[in-house]
Amino acid sequence: MSTSGLKAISPVPTAADFLDIVLSKTQRKTPTVIHKNFKISRIRSFYMRKVKFTQDSFDEKLGAILSEFPMLDDLHPFLASLMNVLYDKNHYKLALGQLRTARHLIDHIAKDYVRLLKFGDSLYRCKQLKTAALGRMATVMRRQKDPLAYLEQVRQHISRLPAIDPNTRTLLICGYPNVGKSSFMNKVTRADVDVQPYAFTTKSLFVGHLDYKYLRWQVIDTPGILDHPLEEMNTIEMQSITALAHLKSCILYFMDLSEQCGYTVEAQCKLFHSIKPLFGGKPTILVINKIDVTRLEDLAPENKALVQEIIDKEDVQCVQTSCYSEEGVMQLKNTACDALLAHRVETKLKGNKVDSIVNRIHVSIPTPRDDIERPPFIPDAVKEKRKYDKNDTGGKKLLRDVEAEQGGPGVYSINLKSNYLLANPEWKMDIMPEIMDGKNIADFVDPDIAEKLEALEREEEQLEAEGYYDIDEDMFDSEDEQEAAAMQKSLEHKIQSQSIKKAQKNQARLPRTAGLRTLSELTTSLKKAGYDPSSIQQRAEMLAKVQRAKRKRAEAETDAGMEVDNENVSESDEGDWMDVDGEETPNKRAKGNSGAVIAKHPRAPQSNRQVAGLRDEQQASKAVKLRNLGQRRRNMLAKAGESDRAIRVKMPKHLFAGKRKAGKTDRR
Amino acid sequence: MATRIQFENSSDIGVFSKLTNTYCLTAIQASTNFYSAFESELGDVIPIVHTTIAGTRIVGRMTAGNRHGLLVPSTTTDQELQHLRNSLPDPVAIQRVEERLSALGNVVACNDYIALVHPEIDRETEEIIADVLKVEVFRQTIADNVLVGSYCAISNQGGLVHPKTSIQDQNELSSLLQVPIVAGTVNRGSDVIGAGLVVNDWCAFTGLDTTATEISVIEAAFKLQGQNSSAIIGEMRDSLIDNWA
Repeated sequence: MSTSGLKAISPVPTAADFLDIVLSKTQRKTPTVIHKNFKISRIRSFYMRKVKFTQDSFDEKLGAILSEFPMLDDLHPFLASLMNVLYDKNHYKLALGQLRTARHLIDHIAKDYVRLLKFGDSLYRCKQLKTAALGRMATVMRRQKDPLAYLEQVRQHISRLPAIDPNTRTLLICGYPNVGKSSFMNKVTRADVDVQPYAFTTKSLFVGHLDYKYLRWQVIDTPGILDHPLEEMNTIEMQSITALAHLKSCILYFMDLSEQCGYTVEAQCKLFHSIKPLFGGKPTILVINKIDVTRLEDLAPENKALVQEIIDKEDVQCVQTSCYSEEGVMQLKNTACDALLAHRVETKLKGNKVDSIVNRIHVSIPTPRDDIERPPFIPDAVKEKRKYDKNDTGGKKLLRDVEAEQGGPGVYSINLKSNYLLANPEWKMDIMPEIMDGKNIADFVDPDIAEKLEALEREEEQLEAEGYYDIDEDMFDSEDEQEAAAMQKSLEHKIQSQSIKKAQKNQARLPRTAGLRTLSELTTSLKKAGYDPSSIQQRAEMLAKVQRAKRKRAEAETDAGMEVDNENVSESDEGDWMDVDGEETPNKRAKGNSGAVIAKHPRAPQSNRQVAGLRDEQQASKAVKLRNLGQRRRNMLAKAGESDRAIRVKMPKHLFAGKRKAGKTDRR
Repeated sequence: MATRIQFENSSDIGVFSKLTNTYCLTAIQASTNFYSAFESELGDVIPIVHTTIAGTRIVGRMTAGNRHGLLVPSTTTDQELQHLRNSLPDPVAIQRVEERLSALGNVVACNDYIALVHPEIDRETEEIIADVLKVEVFRQTIADNVLVGSYCAISNQGGLVHPKTSIQDQNELSSLLQVPIVAGTVNRGSDVIGAGLVVNDWCAFTGLDTTATEISVIEAAFKLQGQNSSAIIGEMRDSLIDNWA
């Protein structure tokens, strides 16, 4: 409805509903509890509030109705007079006026009773005053039963009116009943108006739309008009007259020369003359309809003269059509639209609004400034492309189809590489690293790298061919150079060995047992090789005995106490047992180059820190007990530690819900 | 042929795509609808490339290009540049431009022969544009807007400029560009032509909001579908006046 200037109106309740709505709202939205022992000022204000609130609700609802219904004087003349015809202007205004009066009366009632309530001296009296006030308001409202019912009907009818835009390009179809107006409408638009072979099938205005010349056109089908004075016309005909009078449109006056409609040609011509004043200043077209039955040429001379008189004298065009055989229908549409467009453009060009768009109705054609040819670049593939055919999809698969097949948007991921244009299609999916060794690869890309490589290779071949590499290595000129080369070589060797050493430093060592071989394995293999292993065997057994003894002693000493045994530690640092040469490691602290003492085992604790600062075992065990006691409560509460202050559940539901019964409450 | 399309509910398709006579760039989207709209029209004619520029989707506003070349801003990453190089045909030169006005699509409007540029663009950039795109370069404004790329769309057959461009300016522009120039709107009255319309010598794509009248003006201005730009002052004149005035 937005284009027609009539907005949607919210439903209007009946008088009874109206009262229910307002009074129940008062009941819901104001306080309900009052007591006679309350202070009188409180009782008064309680009832005053009720009265005022009720009045406000009435005011608001009536105000909404009054503002939503359109003011006839503010509407477009066409809509105003259409509403006058359909709903009777006086009746409409009276209904709205009555509501306005009712609102005023209710305001007054509320004002009076609020004044009276100020002197109410008891709860009872105040309540009586309130009841009286609400009762009088209700009586006023109940008297508005008829206007409300009428306005509801008007609202429903307005909501069903077609959306006629009074200012747009409009073709207005008029004529006697049953001359084929609606048939034409159905032919040129998609409105689907009911067409029947009797008069006054169309009882109200109908709107259809058509597209012509890049524009949208509104076609209005009007009910048939009979030729009698304006005062005698009924509501149905008056709608047609209203549209004819107020819409700036192209008038299509339909005539049926076959007289199948039941009206003579003479009568139809007479009607044209009598409503002619309404066509003033509008492009008018006389449509001779039903030419499949009778054409203008077939007409009796006296009738023909009447029609010809209209065509000649008045400023009208004549088009002959048949909605049955569809002859001339499109011609009529085009003629009518062209005539109206020309008329509208003419009027608009007279106005000043056209100045603002004059630069848009302009094509700047270039004046050549040089001899350079600048032809468009259209590939041949485009020129050869077939015309679009709705039924022929061409079998071409779009990426969208692929996407739909492979799970749809969000699931399918596009392969950006699949359309690469590369020398070898196999390269398409190659992965190109972005960063290598901390360097951006793109910074080192050399487009000429292949050529450079080729040049180098060629040079190499040439050198080889010239025998450059055949000469011996020792080609030093002097001893100095020789020496320098040797120095260089030794330096390189040193650097390399240092770096190897350094690299090994941080590596995991092999466990001692990894390369272990048994003595028997050694002897058998020696025997096999033809050696006598007896002396080696003897020595190994002796060494093993020494080792065993040493280990036993060490174990005994470790058991004795917490004191760290230097010797014990030193033993573990020794290498393979087979290399042990029997010498005791000196029981001295080793010293570094600077003379600082180096701990044999730097990471082993020197003393038991748990008992440090305590006198004896007893005291230590007591300290432990005390500590555990201190942690008991915390552990009971399942705390993580001293700093855990979390309170998991502040108010456990089961302890706080419901009413207290006799019993323990101390947990609360 | 002018087609109405949309990029993720936005009608400003010129922001998310770039169309020339030899290639088309489109932004990467969650779905492939936008890409396929181009694909269905241009699929077997020119390559259509999904890409980002400097990680953004506003490829149309960041790049400038024509049949001969493509200019991308300095913020374009090496990977994007490589992707573009791999995707575009070899005769198309690609060049990264160190320009303060990095939205090249907004500051450069060009067809295959002429380029209009922002009046404050670097001298060096101007030379690069002339060399890479093989065009004559003119510093220009359109209806007093310095962003020439945003407020016009041009092809080798015609041009559409900001609706407030005066007739005098239109004549000046048309004698510079050597194509017929029309002032108009896209996307139901939007004056940012560059954002609502991408066009080459044989097809055009506009935002979904574009009205039938605007489409017909576009088709006439760019001589698409056998239309001619004289139609605007000929057969369409009455409709246009009735629609706008």
